[in-house]
Amino acid sequence: MTRRRAERIALNTTGVLVFLVMIFPVYWMVSTAFKPGIDVQTFTPKWFPHPATLSNFTDAIHRPYFWQDVKNSVFVVCVVVALSAVLSFLAALALARFRFYGRKAFIVLIIAVQMVPLNALIIPLYIAFSNAPGGTQVNKLTGVVVAYLTFVLPFCIWTLRGFVMGIPQELEEAALVDGCSRFGAFVRILLPLVAPGLVATSIFAFIQAWNEYIIAYVFLSSPEKQTLTVWLANFTTNRGTAWGSLMAGATLTALPVVAFFVIVHRKIAFGLTAGGVKG
Amino acid sequence: MKIRLVAATIVAVALAVAASTASGASKATSITVWLQNDAQNGWADTVAQATKDFQKEHPGGNVDVHYQTWTDHLTKFDATIAGGNAPDVIELGNTETTKYMANGVFADLSAQKSSFPNSGTWLKGLKDSCTYQGKLFCVPYYTGARAVIYRKDFYAKAGIKGTPTTLSAFVVDNQKLMKKYGKDANFSAFYFPGKNWYASMAFVYDWGGKIATTRKGKWVGTLDSPQAITALTTLKSIVKSTSRASLTTDESHPYPSVVFAKDKVASFVGNGWEWPYTLDPKVGNPALADVMGAYPMPSHVKGRYMPTFLGGSDLGIPVTSKNKDLAADWIKAFTSTSAMTQIAKAGNIPNTTTLLKVNAADPKLAPFAEAAKFTWFIPVTPNWANVENANVLQNMLVNIFTGKQSVKAATTAASKQITSILNASA
Amino acid sequence: MSAETGLRVAAEPTLLSARRRARLTRGAAPYALLAPATIVVGAVLGYPLYLLVQLSFQKYGLPQLLTHHGEWTGLSNYTRILHDSQFWHVLLRTVTFTAANVSLTMLFGTLIALLLARLGSFMRLLLTTGLVLVWATPVVVSVNVWLWMVDYEFGVLNWTLTKLHAGNFVHHDWFANTLSGFGVITAVVVWGAIPFVAITLYAALSQVPEELHEAARIDGASFVQVFRFVTMPLLKPIFIILVSLSIIWDFQVFNQVWIMRDGRPTNDYYLMSIYSFVESFRVSEYGLGSAIALTMVLVMLVVSFFYVRQMVRAGEAE
Repeated sequence: MTRRRAERIALNTTGVLVFLVMIFPVYWMVSTAFKPGIDVQTFTPKWFPHPATLSNFTDAIHRPYFWQDVKNSVFVVCVVVALSAVLSFLAALALARFRFYGRKAFIVLIIAVQMVPLNALIIPLYIAFSNAPGGTQVNKLTGVVVAYLTFVLPFCIWTLRGFVMGIPQELEEAALVDGCSRFGAFVRILLPLVAPGLVATSIFAFIQAWNEYIIAYVFLSSPEKQTLTVWLANFTTNRGTAWGSLMAGATLTALPVVAFFVIVHRKIAFGLTAGGVKG
Repeated sequence: MKIRLVAATIVAVALAVAASTASGASKATSITVWLQNDAQNGWADTVAQATKDFQKEHPGGNVDVHYQTWTDHLTKFDATIAGGNAPDVIELGNTETTKYMANGVFADLSAQKSSFPNSGTWLKGLKDSCTYQGKLFCVPYYTGARAVIYRKDFYAKAGIKGTPTTLSAFVVDNQKLMKKYGKDANFSAFYFPGKNWYASMAFVYDWGGKIATTRKGKWVGTLDSPQAITALTTLKSIVKSTSRASLTTDESHPYPSVVFAKDKVASFVGNGWEWPYTLDPKVGNPALADVMGAYPMPSHVKGRYMPTFLGGSDLGIPVTSKNKDLAADWIKAFTSTSAMTQIAKAGNIPNTTTLLKVNAADPKLAPFAEAAKFTWFIPVTPNWANVENANVLQNMLVNIFTGKQSVKAATTAASKQITSILNASA
Repeated sequence: MSAETGLRVAAEPTLLSARRRARLTRGAAPYALLAPATIVVGAVLGYPLYLLVQLSFQKYGLPQLLTHHGEWTGLSNYTRILHDSQFWHVLLRTVTFTAANVSLTMLFGTLIALLLARLGSFMRLLLTTGLVLVWATPVVVSVNVWLWMVDYEFGVLNWTLTKLHAGNFVHHDWFANTLSGFGVITAVVVWGAIPFVAITLYAALSQVPEELHEAARIDGASFVQVFRFVTMPLLKPIFIILVSLSIIWDFQVFNQVWIMRDGRPTNDYYLMSIYSFVESFRVSEYGLGSAIALTMVLVMLVVSFFYVRQMVRAGEAE
């Protein structure tokens, strides 16, 4: 009893310590967002924003195109997350549950694609997009959506394949015996069990699409079509950076990611109960 | 069966999405202008007014102004050149233009030069950055000069009367300041980051030295000349005795004005626009308004100022533009006398000497306009960009200030490197 | 490996498994499942990748960008790289940097994942939310915040170390020495990479039936033994994926160095991605930059060969 308790205390203390170390830079960002300009950098650290101000936030929100760019970012992210989840789940099934000609080559290709540095692809990708068969994809959100989709798909397929492989095949076998169609078996049995994996890859896709900068900057020109990261970059000029407003903007853009996570995190907890089913 | 259904749904969704966001075709009379976001944050009204003036001449002419960031605008520019949809007008920094001029990216404007407003009185420093092999490839936009920004109250309390007019007086004054305030480990009488090569080269040019020169059609690095060595030795002793800035950062990390706003710096070499920036409540300290002053950096020769580097911007028309005439007309509207007056009032030095009086009338701008009378500029050759890319000057300065190398050894190594980079075949 | 297959083998008669293999081999189903993803990736990346390879055999500078036609120069870009002593220095530095970052990321990521699995639900939510916050912070912003923390004049780190009497860190310049500079960069990279690794590993851990752990513990296995013989084998597929991904990502680290070195890193801070970027976008030698990028891919394939092979084989062990 006491040993259990000591263990719990030790675990919780470690948890709190890890939390503090990890969160500190984020805290520094958020607290800067509440500091007046003169307090952003000080010789003696100001641990708390005192006096605190909301002017950085009002300044950030009132910058041109904020809400338009929020809309654009939300659109891009929703489409990327939804499509990547569906496409990668299907592909992961194929790779984890079937053996077929070309399977190895496909896996190697998917790994190799991720090794190409993004910066080296900017020019070739731009050439390809501006000469796309169905009309130029430059300065269009769809172009950026498709680009992000290809960047996250290899990762999602690959990760999901690992999750699918971790699930005993006997479960689908049982469903097949019970008279389900094969696809039905996949959807009814596998999907809930792969949920934690899907959540993990969705968070990944969400954050990648939400935070990507250079492709969005180069490919989207019109201010009304840009995403939030490009909007954020406008806080930095040759005359210096309005750090307080920038941090306020960054805090605002990080919020949706956290909200998304809090919404889906139950799925991770759900994974725990799913584990029980398996055993 | 169901798989096919899912696939079909995905395709349908993708198509619907594509259709919903597809934009209308661009009009033939529309031009795209790329300006840096300094304009967006500083003189967006002037930009809007220029477009209005342009539209009086070209009714229905559409101008899309897109603001860019300094860090990535060349990446984007290169990509759009490759993709065949570069803008019709682009703002480039005056140290960025040479590479593009030399490679034929910009349209030759020599024939139309006289049609641009004030083209007879353009600032030489900017005009030079638009001229390659005798031809004009861009239009000067604006510039900034550097001067010493200082704290009047610190100077007064340290017993300094007026502002120094020679370098030796400047050194003496700084010593007084260090004596009075120097016990505070964070205090700098003259805040000078080690990699501030613009301000450092000012010393070299003041002593008559140069970064490089041409001899018999070849470039030769000349930082190891006796003049340059004397200049850099003098600078080293000033930096070591009066500055507590980092020796390994440059003049924008952090901006000296940020440190200046915190009462620990008596003076620094700053650009004209750093004045309002220092007082901006978002980044600086508005309380300093009454105790701030500026004066041109004094030369080691009495009666002169140290030459300043004119860092500025130019406006070019890429050869790929399909509306070069419209583009030129927009530039004319944007560099008109009235537009330039507005830009000058925003704290910049306008592109023409005839408007320097606007700056001279404002005590916050006058010292910088005064300093702009003596200037120096980087060697105009496409390979110069590679000297900057290789950080030759910054490395040399860091080695000198930190004592890793003697002034002689560091300058000799840098000169050699500059010679080899500037003469490399393209 | 053995424990995983052992579990499975124990649960299913070999006869059934042989029958299943035969059934799954035939049919167009796998191709239909793969088609949507393949079409998207192929359509978007196929041509650009072809262009990238083509560029690497060409002289492609600003004049070529304008005319859209490169000059074929055969292997000259590649020979130029291989004869450049800087390339070998940068390569060695990048490999070392990657090894250090991947090991640290995996170590801390695994420890935190294990911690998450044992925490109560409130603490778990707190910690995961913290991790997600870290992950959600745009790199540009987080790198700048780190830059402040280690700042020469205003840094919290220098101030704290001085107050703790760890020495005189007033005006300590963390980037004056390349090793300590890379130490800071490594801290930023690992800090930013931990959330993904920890959350993914935790998700994988949550798939492991708790009964297995309890059974092992009842049998008297220690925590380390349970981890080694029960948890680790089950986590192996995900673990291999995470290691290879970390190798791929850390090999390409760009922003952290670029921003921390003020957008103009000196030679001793060059990593492969920086080297390729500078040759492409600063020097305008796109052919050379592409060749460097492709060489990077080759090196990465070699470095991660072991893991890639493991992954390709993983599906066949059954």
